[in-house]
Amino acid sequence: MNNEFGPRGRVASAADDADRAVLVLVAAGQLDALQELYDKYRVMAYSIALRITADASLAEDVVQDAFLGAWRNASRYVEGKGSVKTWLLSIVHHRAVDAVRRRRPTVELPEREDVPPAAMTLPDIWPEVAGNLDREEIAAALTSLSDVQREALELAYFGGLTQQEIAIQTGTPLGTVKSRVRLGLLAMRRALVGTDGNAAGDAAGGDRSGDPGGGALA
Amino acid sequence: MNDEPMTHETARGLAAAYVLGALEPAEEAAVREHLQTCAERHHEFAELGGVVPYLVELPGLELVEPPASLRDRIMAAAAADLAERTATASPVPAESTPRLAEAPAASAASPVAAPPPAAASPGPTLPFPSAAERSAPRRTSPLAWAARIAAVVAIVILGGWNLVLQGQLSDARAYDRAVAAVIDAAGKPGSQIVVLTPTKDSRGAGIAAVAPDGSVVMAMRDLPATAGSQVYEAWVIAAGSPAPVPVGSFTVGQAGTAAFTTTPVTTPPGSTIALSLEPGPGSTTPRGTIVATGVSALPKS
Repeated sequence: MNNEFGPRGRVASAADDADRAVLVLVAAGQLDALQELYDKYRVMAYSIALRITADASLAEDVVQDAFLGAWRNASRYVEGKGSVKTWLLSIVHHRAVDAVRRRRPTVELPEREDVPPAAMTLPDIWPEVAGNLDREEIAAALTSLSDVQREALELAYFGGLTQQEIAIQTGTPLGTVKSRVRLGLLAMRRALVGTDGNAAGDAAGGDRSGDPGGGALA
Repeated sequence: MNDEPMTHETARGLAAAYVLGALEPAEEAAVREHLQTCAERHHEFAELGGVVPYLVELPGLELVEPPASLRDRIMAAAAADLAERTATASPVPAESTPRLAEAPAASAASPVAAPPPAAASPGPTLPFPSAAERSAPRRTSPLAWAARIAAVVAIVILGGWNLVLQGQLSDARAYDRAVAAVIDAAGKPGSQIVVLTPTKDSRGAGIAAVAPDGSVVMAMRDLPATAGSQVYEAWVIAAGSPAPVPVGSFTVGQAGTAAFTTTPVTTPPGSTIALSLEPGPGSTTPRGTIVATGVSALPKS
């Protein structure tokens, strides 16, 4: 299976098309289009931000920053790199993670402050593996994860924790956490699209190549 | 941490953690650098990254409706941003801003697939040419936003927006957003404006707008932080009525700023808006110190 999901790789849903039309107007500086986008995704956006930050006021700031980021950078949305929904919610996710990391004293703060604030740049958006999966299919994919894989992915995605932090929090060796993260994502991919694609090479060689990779940077 | 360039295989091994954002900052930077320079293709990043959006469906995400005020804050901030773009790009009259969707001729000539170089864009518009732009339905109610944009432009001209231009300090930004929300409310026909000044021996000042429905949108600063169960309670003493009506309470952090929208009550012009520091929420008459007051008035035309 070819894993290049170009803009025409899958039939975009009507909802995606409608979102793109709205985003065009957002890029053109139409405030009403921004409001339409906000009203459509505000609950998802706020719920994600609230879950990650566990702080209503910070979550509001995150959602505001994210929508203003979308407002200013709508022209940088590239068709074919995921739906508008994914693009938007990824911005929310990145900014929420950034916000909790900045608040956490244990993080390597000087390092992050030198870098142009991650929250100010749009995240890398990866194409979704498939355009029109329904909730049941996604839920089924998530059940393909083992409990420890799900925990590791959840701590990374909703907790905003790095692998090292997950290792410390769960009292698990770093190498084990790395395996859970990698194998967890591979399992989800397999369940969602029925193939590992090129990433399968990682799984096969994972036991051997994972440790040197981690060791070189530990 | 070694400074050696990352190998292709090492980068591959870190793909899952990278797309999850779960690498340490230095590792992440090293992977990013590798991806920018690596001659070989890294399919695994897109393949694993494509899975990440679905993690939002992990069980346990409680769906929560954000407060209604968040929409106003975002829209006011976007309107201010639009006004700023317009103001810095060229002295375009405010009336022309709602029509930015009419793409300039230059952008219509660009190929559809090419991402527009934002920096090269001469004007406030972000060219995003496509067939959809020509065929998309017009947005409704540009007039409502025109009024708000005009209000923000007025503030920019008056210099009141300097805090935004001066810095990105979050306290200042929070206050600016609060002010923007007030402007947003004040721009609606029939709204009144209130300037809140501190009472003797108190701190705390701000501005507020009384929306047509009687809710008061306020932006306060210099308020002492609340402690324990303390709250600031807002009161409306309607013109001609002796009784203060409690309209909502809020807490204040170390920054001393507050953005707050009260519950709507009848607030004719000439009403007094007051803030008191109460020992706890739920006061029906002011028990604590009145820290700031102001009288509502319709803006002079």
